[in-house]
Formats: sequence, C-alpha cells, structure tokens
Amino acid sequence: MVDKILTEKNLVSRHSMLELAEHWLIAISGLILFFTGMFELPMSNRYYISSVPGLAWSADFITSLYIHYFAAIIFIAAGLFHLVYHGIRGENGMIPQKGDMAASVTIIKSLFGFGKEPPMSKYLPEQRLAYVGMAFIMAMLIISGLVKTYKNIYAPDMSLTIVLWATWIHNIFFILFFLAFLAHMAAIALRPNWPMVRGIFTGKVRLDYARHRHSLWLADIEKVEAVPVVPEIVLPVIDAEPLPELQKPPQEELLTPIAGEPAKINDETTKQEISKD
Amino acid sequence: MNDQKISKINRRSFLQIAAGAATLAGVGLPQTAQAGTDSQLSTLIDLSLCDGCTDRETPACVSSCKSINKDKIPKIVDNIPEPWPRKTIEDWSKKKEVTNRLTPYNFIYVHKAEIEAAGRKQIIFVPRRCMHCDNPACATICPFSANHKMKNGAVVIDQNLCFGGAKCKTVCPWEIPQRQSGVGIYLHVLPSFMGNGVMYKCDLCDERLKEGKLPGCVEACPRKAMLIGPKKDMEMLALERARQMNGFIYGKTQNGGTATLYVSPVSFDLIGKTMQKKPGQPDMKQEVKRRMAGTDNPAKAVLIAPVLGLVAAGALGWFSRRKEMVKKEDNDNG
Repeated sequence: MVDKILTEKNLVSRHSMLELAEHWLIAISGLILFFTGMFELPMSNRYYISSVPGLAWSADFITSLYIHYFAAIIFIAAGLFHLVYHGIRGENGMIPQKGDMAASVTIIKSLFGFGKEPPMSKYLPEQRLAYVGMAFIMAMLIISGLVKTYKNIYAPDMSLTIVLWATWIHNIFFILFFLAFLAHMAAIALRPNWPMVRGIFTGKVRLDYARHRHSLWLADIEKVEAVPVVPEIVLPVIDAEPLPELQKPPQEELLTPIAGEPAKINDETTKQEISKD
Repeated sequence: MNDQKISKINRRSFLQIAAGAATLAGVGLPQTAQAGTDSQLSTLIDLSLCDGCTDRETPACVSSCKSINKDKIPKIVDNIPEPWPRKTIEDWSKKKEVTNRLTPYNFIYVHKAEIEAAGRKQIIFVPRRCMHCDNPACATICPFSANHKMKNGAVVIDQNLCFGGAKCKTVCPWEIPQRQSGVGIYLHVLPSFMGNGVMYKCDLCDERLKEGKLPGCVEACPRKAMLIGPKKDMEMLALERARQMNGFIYGKTQNGGTATLYVSPVSFDLIGKTMQKKPGQPDMKQEVKRRMAGTDNPAKAVLIAPVLGLVAAGALGWFSRRKEMVKKEDNDNG
C-alpha cells in the first residue's frame, strides 16, 4: 500500500508509480485508439484533417490501422494488468460500495452549493461508479475489437451476425468511451476536484486537502500507520516508556467529520492552505 | 435445407458449365469438381474464349448483369444533400446506360486490349469486375461491416448498411466499388456530415447463388468463357488451361489471392500495358500486394495482448507479495 502521510511536506501519497504508469498508458493509448478509430470511419480526408501539416498519414487507412493495433496492444495489456494485479492484491478501493449512488447525488448537489459534502474515503463515490462504467466500456471495446482483429487476420468470412455484433458494439462503445472521457475531463474541471489533478501526475495530493475532503481515507492511513508502531515484543517490558503515538487520541479527532462536522484543523499551515482554496 | 439446395443445384449447374468448358478446353473435368459447392467458390475467365461479343451491341455478360441489377438501387432523392465540408457528389442515376466502365449501375465491363506480340497483332477482351479477394480489405475494414465476405467467397455490400464513405474503394487495389450519392442510410442520419451515399459493385450474384442459380455473367456468356465452381477445382482447371495454351494466370496471387482467375494466352504484362487506371477502369498490374498483410503481425500481437497483461500481473503480483513477505519476516526476526 502506497498511501502514506508526509506531514512535513504537507502531502499524502495517493498513487504508486505503477498505478500512475497504468493510468497514463491506458489514457494515452485510449486517446490514440480514439483518434485512429475516427480516421478509420473515415473522416480525415472528408474533414481536411489530412491537410493539416504532419497529419497527411491520417488519410491512409492502413497506416491508421497499424497505429490502432499498436495502441491496442498497450491498452489491452495495461487494462488486463490493472484488473488482475490489483485484484490479486485485494486493492478494491475503486469498487462501488452500497450507497454510492445516493452519496454521488449529495456530492454533486454540494458542488453546486446545495448542502454539504459527506466525509469521503480515498475515492469519491462518483469516482467509483465512473470507474466501473469506464471499465465496462473498455471491456466491451476490447472484446469486440479482438473479434474484429481475429476476423481481419484469419476469418474474413466469419459469420456476418458475429461480425455485425462486434462492429456495432465497437462503434457504440467508441461513442460512449468519448462521452466518458468528456465526463472525466468535466469532473477535473470542477474546482473542488482540482487538488486531485496533481495526484495523477505526481502520485501525491496535499495533506490539508485530503484531511478536509478525504477524512475517512486519512483515518484509514493513520490506523494502518499506527499498527506497526505497537511493539509486540516491547509490550512485556514493564519499564518501557509509552510511545508518543500511542498517547495521541487520533481516532477521536478523525471521527468528528463522520458526524457531519468539518474536520478540525490544528495545524496552522494547513489552515492557511485551505483558506487559499 | 437451403445449403443443401444450393449444393445440389450448384453442382448440377457447375457440371453443365464445366462439361462445356471441359470440351472447349480439351481437358478432363477433375473429379473433385463434383464434390459440391459448400466450400468457397471461384470463377475462371478464359480470355482465349472471350470474343467481347463483338456481334452484339453490349457484351452478353454486361447486359445480363445490368438486367439482373436494374432495380437494385432505390430511387435517388431529388435534392441530393451536399456533403460538408468536402462537397463531392457522385450521381450516376442519369447515366445508367454507361457500359464502358464500372459505375453504380454497371458492375462489369469488357476492356479491349490491342496487343502486338511476336510480330503480330492480337485483340484480347478482358471482362473486368470485382475480383472477390480471399482476404478483402474493402470488407474487413469497412467501419460498419456493410461489406462482407461470404462463406462462398462472394464479397457483398449491404446497401442498407453502407454509408458511402468510399473507404472500400480507397483500399481496393483496383478501386472497384463505385458510389451513388443521394441514396442509403446516411440520408436518415446526418446527411451533410456523415456518409455520402452507397457503394456498389459486383456481388457475384450472391442472391442467385443462394437460389441455386449461376451468376448472370457466367450464365449469359455464349462462349462459356466464364466458369464458376469450387475454388480448388477452378484453380486446377486454370492451371491446366494455362498449361495447355502455354499461357498465363492472373488473380491467383494478386492482393493475397482472389476468387477470380483469368487465363490468357498472352502475358498479363502486355495486357496490363493496354490498361491505364482511370476512374471506373482498373489497371491489371502483375504486382498487387495486399497492404493489410503488413498489419497481420501487429494484429496477432493484439490477440495475445490479454495474455501479456495477465502474465505481467501474475509475475509482478507474485514478486511484490514475496517482497512483502520477506520484509515481514525481516521485521519478525527483529
């Protein structure tokens, strides 16, 4: 688990390098697939895209197909890797939980000034729902794309029914992929989500932001960070000094926001950072 | 049931044609030719037999094809929408009578090749239409799968699904499909911004084949210059005829192989020189590479990409788990 509070830097580690690599490999290959898919429609010549300096190649369907295939290799391998690797490790923070739908509505309302945001964990409820939606879109694109690819190499006379299903699933989910991408960009454009943007580039978000908005997540991190400090071997030693961490009552403070109150901010720097927002 | 009928009637039809062909060619009919037509079909066009129907106003194959397909294209809308931003409109509805090139209303034409070989002039007539390629790029990368290769080898465009983007024409080495604007599904979607009509070309009379009939051109040829039968048998027959006339074959290897085999007593290099590629009039170059063949290896890598992802996840998952265990053990050991 990469999640770690870096108090002195006012940061929290949110994503590992591996997760960042997965995200960007999927994002970049996905965008390449989207554009080369458009060029296959065909659009480049009709809309003079091929007249743009450096894009003359886009009118050549075979060149676009080469690029589409190379991007697909990365997209599929990275997608499957993500699913299986994190599945094996039991990292299920992005899997929707009960009540996510209702919580999403509350959060979206709060973004427009109606009501308060509930305390949230590492991922927002609507992020979890969007994640499953995007995963489903990707799965459909991958499955239908694999059928089309197999047909292109080995079976041009494949059953027309199968080919039509694969083609139309690919085309419909191509549009849905684009809409999901737009929704993703729209979510980033919302001011309260801005602090998360640095997370997907650097792997870290500001501690004061996390404490303010992801209090449940911080509570989890602090719980985990507290556990190894409990010295199993040291405990029997009667003269041992109580560890400073054990003297702190973090749970009490951290549980406050759950009751619907904003998190208490003790740190001066943190206070200033929030007020800037 | 339908397949059985096709097989039965095609076998009979094939035998009728092949018997005549065998007589004309002076070769025995391969036994395998009688095995039915459940598998892929192929046509053979014997240029030593085709005389271009010079005694007729229009070659028999052309007029038969036109007659069969005369009602194929629905009525064209009065005001064909102007595509945006490229304003190309292709309307052949007022030039239906054209027979000297491929058009949406004419799927076959006969090229007259005047050749001077070995000091003597020769005239060779070459019927030109879709070659029905073994792995047709026009069909495999059609974005709507409106163009598809059937089990019998016929490459067929479904005019109800085609948007007329002309991608099939661009990727076809002979640029066979021809567009008719102002007709088709695009009129009901975004006529000015997406699509531009329907692409038309020879479909090997796929519907007639399903009914157990021969393609119109094959049936109409008075000289039996065109034959249809199981692909392997047609290839054997083409080889045999080429051997007998000390001639040449075109279509067996071009574009990765096709289901149309031309046999000629004159080299296709010489014939090809009489053909200049023009709109609706394909050339006949010897070297025709299947460009999509280059994408086969990346495509195979796409097919194994899920395995790559799974193996990498398994390996890295095991590695990280082991690392954590070692760390835990180290911690436990003090």
